[in-house]
Amino acid sequence: MKKILFASLALVALLASALSQSAIDGVAILQKVDRNLEPESYEMYRKLINIEPDGTKKEFVLFSVKKGKSNVAALFLSPTSDKGRSTLRQGDNMWLYIPSVGKPMRITSQQSITGGVFSNADILRIDYTEEYNVTSTEDQGDTYLLKLKARTGEVAYDQLKMVVDKKTVLPLEIEAYASSGMLIKTLRFKDIKDFGGGIKRPATVETDSPLYKGYKSVMLYSGLKKREVQDEVFTQGFMPRLEELRK
Amino acid sequence: MKTAFVTILLALAAMAANAEEEFKFDASEFDKKPFEFNGYLEQKLETLKLRGDSPAYRLTYPGESAQDWLLRSTSTLELSGKAYYKSLTADVRAQASYQGDDLVNTTNYGQVMEGGLRWSAGTDLSFDIGKRVQRWGKGYAWSPVGFVERPKDPADPTASREGFVMASGEWTRSFSGPLSTLGFTGMVVPTNDNLNTDFGREADLNPAAKLYLLAFDTDFDLMWRGQGAKPEAFGLDFSRNLTPALEVHGEWARTLDAPRNTVSASGLTRSTQVNFNSWLLGLRYLTRSEITWIAEYYRNGAGYSADQLDDYYTFLDRAMAPEASPTLSSKARTVAQSGYGKANPGQDYLYLKASVSEPFDWVYGAASLTTMTNLQDGSWQIQPEVSYTGFANWELRGRVVFFGGQPDAEFTTKASSARLEVYARYFF
Repeated sequence: MKKILFASLALVALLASALSQSAIDGVAILQKVDRNLEPESYEMYRKLINIEPDGTKKEFVLFSVKKGKSNVAALFLSPTSDKGRSTLRQGDNMWLYIPSVGKPMRITSQQSITGGVFSNADILRIDYTEEYNVTSTEDQGDTYLLKLKARTGEVAYDQLKMVVDKKTVLPLEIEAYASSGMLIKTLRFKDIKDFGGGIKRPATVETDSPLYKGYKSVMLYSGLKKREVQDEVFTQGFMPRLEELRK
Repeated sequence: MKTAFVTILLALAAMAANAEEEFKFDASEFDKKPFEFNGYLEQKLETLKLRGDSPAYRLTYPGESAQDWLLRSTSTLELSGKAYYKSLTADVRAQASYQGDDLVNTTNYGQVMEGGLRWSAGTDLSFDIGKRVQRWGKGYAWSPVGFVERPKDPADPTASREGFVMASGEWTRSFSGPLSTLGFTGMVVPTNDNLNTDFGREADLNPAAKLYLLAFDTDFDLMWRGQGAKPEAFGLDFSRNLTPALEVHGEWARTLDAPRNTVSASGLTRSTQVNFNSWLLGLRYLTRSEITWIAEYYRNGAGYSADQLDDYYTFLDRAMAPEASPTLSSKARTVAQSGYGKANPGQDYLYLKASVSEPFDWVYGAASLTTMTNLQDGSWQIQPEVSYTGFANWELRGRVVFFGGQPDAEFTTKASSARLEVYARYFF
């Protein structure tokens, strides 16, 4: 009887250890993915291209800064009709500032200020580890498959399936799902580029969505570098002044 | 066969090369320049269905014969420029416009909407001097706490407005914890016979201040305007997302010793000094089908009750009748300017707007339906609208506004009963 009890306890301990190891690995991988994609505090430029089924394109250029785990701000530089607009994210709070309106308005992560496939959550993305828990990690040979679940209902996508390249510890593909289990969009990470300062990451992210059949959106990265700015940059009062950060 | 295969491979390679070419991006193309110059050109066409026999028509178009329709064309050119030097930013935004219809032609050769100099002493401290636009409050259609700005047009609340000449300073500090941001804005808006005459003509500095807090994920503002060319007022506002899809907001303002003019049906005018409260409560809700609802209830403390408006319309009927004396007609104009002629002169309003981005897979398109109701007299306006921003640097918009309700009510006593408006705006 003692032997059976001892064997059962050992089995439970082994299983718990294995499960715990799996969870720790997943979290560690996700943390590494976060830091490999971007430094915790940075500045960067992005071009967003929305491509319609007939090949027509609409482009937006944004300058962004991020500080810490959950503060991001972005300024539209192009097209001229959107120039001067800025967006701010402090954790779950998001605002949009339009110069002609003259005051920041609260927006939600699911909506899109650019139209097309990219949502506000994609444009003002914060660390995955901030928004998601790792629910499972699967070894797929050259890649890991991380299944992530949103920590709160405030997050734009309820679940993510992230395929991570083992060698570079960078995502290759992310599928985003709604709480109903419906696939909302797929992000494909391409064109690994050395940005300098030890930052080597995909310079192109392509997105398509079954909700926008035939449409595709592309996000191109440039000028990504570490930068520390003051906390006050991530306040509503600074939204009309974001241009001052550009050198 | 081999040649065909090689040709296909080469063609594929060329296509791949082209694809790569398409997606190149170099941030240096967007390096900051010491000067910036932008603007837009807008052409607007309006068709108005007039109430040619109404007193409001005769008030708006004195001496003109009754007309049923009016076609109006407005061309606007806006130019804006910015210059940067170290921590200084100089900017200006000016408009020129021409508006013409069968009854009135107006030319505006150049109006500075805003412009001045900013010194950014740091990211947490800045000072401004010049003509500036302050937008206070969280309300969408109305802003009772908008103490130092021109009135918002509830029919077009996001339209750009002209600022006032002022000197201001803004200080902000971030914290970790439930109170994450604290900000203070202080300003003076000097007035005299030549400066800020739309704000007031009395020689005064007109101080005002705003304290902003982001605490517990909620935006709070406390505002104050000192007594001067306008009465003293203070108030507060808030805005918070209860869920990612539901935002609630509110404003409350108290104005002290404000002049209030009333007119009786027989034309007797009376002026009193009153204290009043105005407030607003609203929400913004995004449904699963991506329809954004905005609902706002507005209590206009300075407004007139349905009975008082009835008296005014009765007086206006008599004062603007074709056989009325010029003195009486002139008095009607003075009364209209003293408060009754404002965009929303009533006391209780409900605003509802349903808008959808990209309806029926119409990418870059948007459609909305807006209603505004005077809850006391039951009159209303309804406004379907479509817009499209799919062409680079173009904005196209079309809307129709219908006014309806019982006779002798706010929206049925306007000079027009409907308006169709389309505009194209090109940004450069």
